[in-house]
Formats: sequence, C-alpha cells, structure tokens
Amino acid sequence: MSLSAYFLRRLLLAVPLVIGISLVSFIIANLVPSDPMAANLGERAAADPEIVAAFRAKWGLDEPFFVQYFTYLRNLLSGDMGTSIRTRRPVADELLRYMPATVELATAGIIVALLVGVPLGVISAVWRNRPIDFIARIISLIGVSAPVFWLALVALLLLYLRLRILPGPGRLDAVIPPPPAVTGLYTIDALVAGQWRTLGNALAHLILPAVVLGAYSAGLITRITRSAMLDVLSMDYITTARSKGLRERTVILRHGLRNALLPVVTVIGLSYGNLLTGAVLTETIFSWGGIGRFAYDSARSLDFPSIMGVSMLIALVFVLTNLIVDMLYYILDPRIRL
Amino acid sequence: MRRLYGLLVVVSLLSLLAFGGAAAQEEKVLVVGLSEDYNGLDVHRAYEPGGSLIHKIVYDTLVTFPTDSVSEILPNLAESWTISDDGLVYTFTLRGDVVFSNGDPLTAEDVVFSFNRMKNLKDNPAFLADGIVSVEAPDERTVVLTLAAPDPAILAKLVFDAFSVVNADVVRAQGGTDAENASEADTAELWFNDNSAGTGPYMVDFYEPTVQTVLVRNPNYWGEAPYFDRIIIRNMPEAATQKLALEAGDIHIAMDITADQLPSLEGNPNISVYSTQSDTLIFLLMNQDPEIGGPMSDPKVQLAVRYALDYEGLKLLGGAGTNTPAAMVPLGFAGALDASEALPRDLEMARSLLTEAGYPDGFTVDLRYPDFTYIGTQFSLVAQKVQADLAEVGITVNLVPEELQVSLEAYRGGRHGFGLWLWNPDYYDTLDYVEFLPGGVVGKRANWTDENADATILELRDKVKVETDPEVRNQLFREIQLYEQQSGPFAPLFQPGVHFAYNATLKGFNYNGQWRVDLSLLSF
Repeated sequence: MSLSAYFLRRLLLAVPLVIGISLVSFIIANLVPSDPMAANLGERAAADPEIVAAFRAKWGLDEPFFVQYFTYLRNLLSGDMGTSIRTRRPVADELLRYMPATVELATAGIIVALLVGVPLGVISAVWRNRPIDFIARIISLIGVSAPVFWLALVALLLLYLRLRILPGPGRLDAVIPPPPAVTGLYTIDALVAGQWRTLGNALAHLILPAVVLGAYSAGLITRITRSAMLDVLSMDYITTARSKGLRERTVILRHGLRNALLPVVTVIGLSYGNLLTGAVLTETIFSWGGIGRFAYDSARSLDFPSIMGVSMLIALVFVLTNLIVDMLYYILDPRIRL
Repeated sequence: MRRLYGLLVVVSLLSLLAFGGAAAQEEKVLVVGLSEDYNGLDVHRAYEPGGSLIHKIVYDTLVTFPTDSVSEILPNLAESWTISDDGLVYTFTLRGDVVFSNGDPLTAEDVVFSFNRMKNLKDNPAFLADGIVSVEAPDERTVVLTLAAPDPAILAKLVFDAFSVVNADVVRAQGGTDAENASEADTAELWFNDNSAGTGPYMVDFYEPTVQTVLVRNPNYWGEAPYFDRIIIRNMPEAATQKLALEAGDIHIAMDITADQLPSLEGNPNISVYSTQSDTLIFLLMNQDPEIGGPMSDPKVQLAVRYALDYEGLKLLGGAGTNTPAAMVPLGFAGALDASEALPRDLEMARSLLTEAGYPDGFTVDLRYPDFTYIGTQFSLVAQKVQADLAEVGITVNLVPEELQVSLEAYRGGRHGFGLWLWNPDYYDTLDYVEFLPGGVVGKRANWTDENADATILELRDKVKVETDPEVRNQLFREIQLYEQQSGPFAPLFQPGVHFAYNATLKGFNYNGQWRVDLSLLSF
C-alpha cells in the first residue's frame, strides 16, 4: 500500500470515530442529573414557568433525546455546530476564537519540553550515574511531579513580581492591542503585520506559561530519552561504530539518538495532544483565553452544544497527532516501510 | 540543534527589549482585574455582578442610588416623578439635556422601547418587569409607568442595569425589537458586545470574551467628563493572579480578593484594601414537608437548630468583614433587625426543645450542599461547622456534598430536606426577602406554602407586599423577622465579607452593593 493511500484511509477512519464520540458525549451530557436550564437561568428566572418554557423551546431541550441528537447530527453535516447556550455565539466561532491561543501556548510548551527534555535525556544517559545524571534526574522529577498550580505561582512570584524580567498574566500587555487577526496566533499575526513590539511582547508573555505547561512533558521526555538512549547505547552497532573510529559525537547523535527517537516521538505526540486539550489550570492562572478554559466553563454550565464541539475537537486533535506520530515513525524507521 | 538554541537566545533578548520599552503612553488608562462572570453585554439581558461594573458607566437608568450606599433613591435620567394615590401609576419627567453617545437627544420613546424590550426578551432579569402593565410616552419628556398592584420596591428595581435606557433607533437598526415576540425576533444581542447605545460616560469599544472588555470615553457625555480616557477590564479568573498583577502595577483594581490574601496586602504601602460585609446571605434550609425533611420539618426542631448554632464561630469562616444577621433580612437593608437582636447560642434551650419534639436522644440527618467556594466561603467548611455545632445537642449530621448544578436542581425543586445555601439580592429593596416567606421563591423550596403556614405570617406577608409608607414597612419587616427567629424553615448563618484591593494612588473609590464600584468616578 502506498503511503498516501494508507494515510487517507486513516483519515477516513476518523469520521466514524468522531461520530461515535459525538454520540457518547451526547449521552453522557444528558445523563448528568442536572438541567442546563438550572445552570443558565438565574434564581428568579428559573422560578418563572414562562421564562423556563421560552428557554427550553429556544434550545430545543423540549424535544426527546434522540430527536435532539439527530437534529444535532443533521446540522453538523451541513457544517453547523450549533450555538453556545452560555455565550449565545456559534460554537464553531468559539472554537476558532479560543483554539489559536491554546495552539500557540501548547506549541511553545512542547518546544520548551523538547529543548529541555531531549538534550537532558541524552546527557543523562551518556554520563550515566555521574553527578550530571543525578541533576538531570532531579530536574525531570520536579518537572513530572510539581503541581502546575504551584509551579505557576512560584514562577510568577519570582520572575514577574520580584525580579521583573518577564511579564505577567495575559497574552499581551493591557495597553498593547492585539495584532490584526490572520491565524489568531499573536506571534504569527504580529510577524505578518510587521508589528515588532507586539511580537516581542507576545513572545515575552509566552515564556512563563510555556515553561510551566511544558514542565511535565519535559520531565517525561527526559526520562524516556534517557532510558531509550541507555538501551541503544548498549547495542552492538554502537560498539561497531566506535570501533570504526567514528567521533564520539557522531556515534551518540547519528547512531544513538536517531535510533532512540522512536519512543520519544510517541511521547511527544501524546504530550502535544495533552497540552492542546488539558491546559485548564495553566490557562486559568495565566488568564490565557484558550480552549481549556472554554471547555471548563462550558461543562460547568452544561452548555451542550459547546461540550459537544469541544469533545469532537479534542477527538480530532488526538486523531491528527497520532497520525503525525505514525508518519514520523515511517520516516524515522525504514523497517516500517518494508 | 545548535542553531535552534541560537534562535531561542535571539528571541528571548528581543522579547526582553520589547517588554522593557512598553511603558510610555499618552492616554490615561485604568486597568481592572475581574473574574469575568458575564457572557455578553446586551444590557437588557444583564444579570451578573461583573457586568454591572460596565453597564453602570455605559448606560443610565431613570433613578439611581448614591455611589456609596443603596439607602435612598436619587434622580438620574428622570429629574422628578410623582406616584398616584393608589400606588399604581408612576409619572417620570425626563431631564432635557441628556444625549446618547451618538449625539441623539434622549426621548420618552427610548425609555418605552428599553423597558418593553427588556420585559419581552424573557431573559434572566425579565421577572423584574413582571408587575409592570404598561409603559407610555404621552410626550417627549414624560414616561408613565402603570403597575398591576402597588409595588413598594419598584423604584429600587428600576435602578437595576436591565432597566437601562438605550437609543431605540440605533438598537432597532441592529435588529432589536421591543415587540411581544422579542425573545425570538430580536437579533441585536451580539451587536451589543462591540457597540453600545447609551447615555453613560463611557462607550463599549470592544469585548473579547474571556480576555478583556475595553471601554472608551463618550465624547458626547451630558454630565461631567470622567478622568480616564480608556478603561480596560481584564479577565483574571484566579484571585492569586489578580493579587500578583496588582502588586506588580499591571492592574489598578483587583475585584476578587479573598480574605486569606488580606494580611499580605495590608503591609503594602502601595495598595489600599476595602472590606465590607457582602449582601450574600448564607443560610440553612429545613424542609417543611415531613416526607422530605423528616425531623427537620418539626417547628421545634427548627428552633432548636437556630439555638444550637455557634454564630460567633461561624462568622470566622467568612473572613474579615463578615457579619451575622438576626433573621433572614441581611444587615444593610432597610428594616433589618440589628445584629445585637440575633438569637444567642443556647444549648440548654436547644436540648429541651428537642426533647419536647420527641427526640431526647437526638437523630441522624443528611445535610446536602453544593461543594464549592463562593466569594471566599468554602461551603464544605461551613457544613463541617454546622455538623460540629449540632452534634453538641445530639443531632448527628451526615455531610452530603454535591456538584453545584446537581445540588442546585434538587434545591430548586424543593427536594433538599436539610440544605446549606446562599441568596443574593435581585434588587436592592427589603421586599426581595419576602421570598423567604410562604409561597416565595425560597419559601417554596422548603415547601413552605400558603396551606401549611399559619395565618400570622401570611397576613404580615400580604401587608408588607403593598405597604408604601417607609415607617410602617419597617415595622412590618421587624415583625416578620421576629417571627422568623421563632418559627419557620430557615436559619441565617452569616454574610461573608467582600474585599477589593486597589492602587493607593487611585482616588474616588466607593462601594455600593448594586454596581460595586463606579469606575467613572476614579482618578489618579
């Protein structure tokens, strides 16, 4: 089977998957022993039968469960994800509004995790059981085990409030207007518009949340890289490479790291998916208006259309990251091509 | 790899440079940190306290409160008004000098449109207009409001944001309507998020949901021009973040400070703190229906609970500024009993009441409550305190924490036998607390109805609902509260404190329960 046919088939498989997920999330959302009416109407409005009836009719909540679901699916096929009960804006617009902020943060987070995790893992494996290995292992332990909440506040307190070398919460300073929207990623948009001050400010605002968000993945990647490198470095071909008289750097990076990368790529793929979908705490503390916060607020107010939209978006993110991981496997490991 | 590191270094240097140079600015900007609780800025759908901060300075209402209290009704868009002898017809005379932000003069038609749109949208605040039969504009400067029954609270209700007056022509042009079917036909809601059509000192520039709301000065404002050119309200959902940003000088006011943050702020000379009792009433509900409430439906048990609670100890759970009301009308409202008139803790009395009720050895009961924290008050801690207090008189309380929405549904459906809840005023008149009486919104949740209540309280309730004379009203409220202390399905616990912290150079900070802070009066 050719590469493109294989990936096309994988992409098509995502369609029934997403529909299945939509059904499961619809059922779960409806099983909650609570009522979106109670969550979205105030005390007094909820006590007024006329207002309650108007609310149920408006959101189709007076229909039986399956009618609601099939109406939803039908609209979805025509590209309509419905309207958020909570914000009264189209769900598709909401996802587009919040996703870029999260993509920007998660991407920065995974870059931090990679830049820290891979080198630290390699160093730690090469100088196994030396002091530098212990230091690296302690760093990765902190990354994996420190609660996001604590790490974020300590980082803010130290680098923002005391030392004043990094800006605080938000994606930009209050006085800097957002760049004209193209991608929704402030860094890219500022670059496109040539607004250098905005770009610098957006990058500076990214550093702290990205480090905090990436800390866990960095720790994980360090560990996986270390153990994968240790396995690989004990292989015969490494001994062969050394005996050929290759430089140690070439042996470790070309022959060692490249072969150790496979499990690392899997972890990176999964971590990226997690960062894209699970950044609620980081987004809350850093006042970062992203999809994690949107998902949290939607769930809290039983905003069915938004919950459905977020669930399907998350499903797609995982399908896509898995697909990309598989493609990287294909490129990194020639055996898969056989 | 090395190239990547090089790039990172360059990028970090660049960003530090940009951050350092971002200070200079010519216009006067006020930045407020707020945990955003609103999802839109359509003023006729307004219901959340956070939104009040904005609506207050973008729109005006016919009448208003003083900036620092809710104790009296003052003229605003209406310069005067008369009330018919039967209390049914209110005739307002509008000021002649008011213009909207686009320069159009205010007319009585705008008021009619605004009130009808609010009522017919049937959104959260619409119940406030329930008693209004008609709004008419006999001439450009006269508005006639007719009620179905006398409503002593109507002027206080008219202060609420949802009764704000908008420019009818502008809103109609955006798809707004005041027709009967407005709840389906009106399409102006989203327009309000990036625009406004009010007479207040500021205009909405844009609203970026969950990020910020930006207001700019209204160039056509009919009153005294405010100090700040621009007000930026940044969404900061986390109180710890607000505190940090205030200390760093990035925001000027933190709207959601919690009691445990106060000690570390008080030593900071650059920051002022304002604490007061909130209008939130935290209380226990004991269901009148024996099927649901079990022993809790017994009036003697209910009184025993009120005597068994350690009010002084409970007060500590609300933090600085917390106070204990004597009955179900919070302190600060006209006619509320003084705190000193509260029932004392009397364990002997509680035990003998329980014996009289047939429970000499006590009983076991579930206490259901939403497991959440509201303005700094952790409900789980309050529930534990109630459990400990009642254990002293032999009542064994099982704590049943519930997810907020699930718990809310059971509570609103009258299915909580013994519950821990809170109530915020819908409008600033004591009449809102008639809801705790038989047949009221909260009364019904305790299954306290006209059928199972006694004649004394029903008579008091019916009288106070129509009484307009302030002194007679206060006397009636007094009798109602004294009744509530002895009988009825509720026990008041406390009003937690609310706290604000702001840059010490900021002048003109005032607090009022309705809109909290009037941002247009602030200056450096």
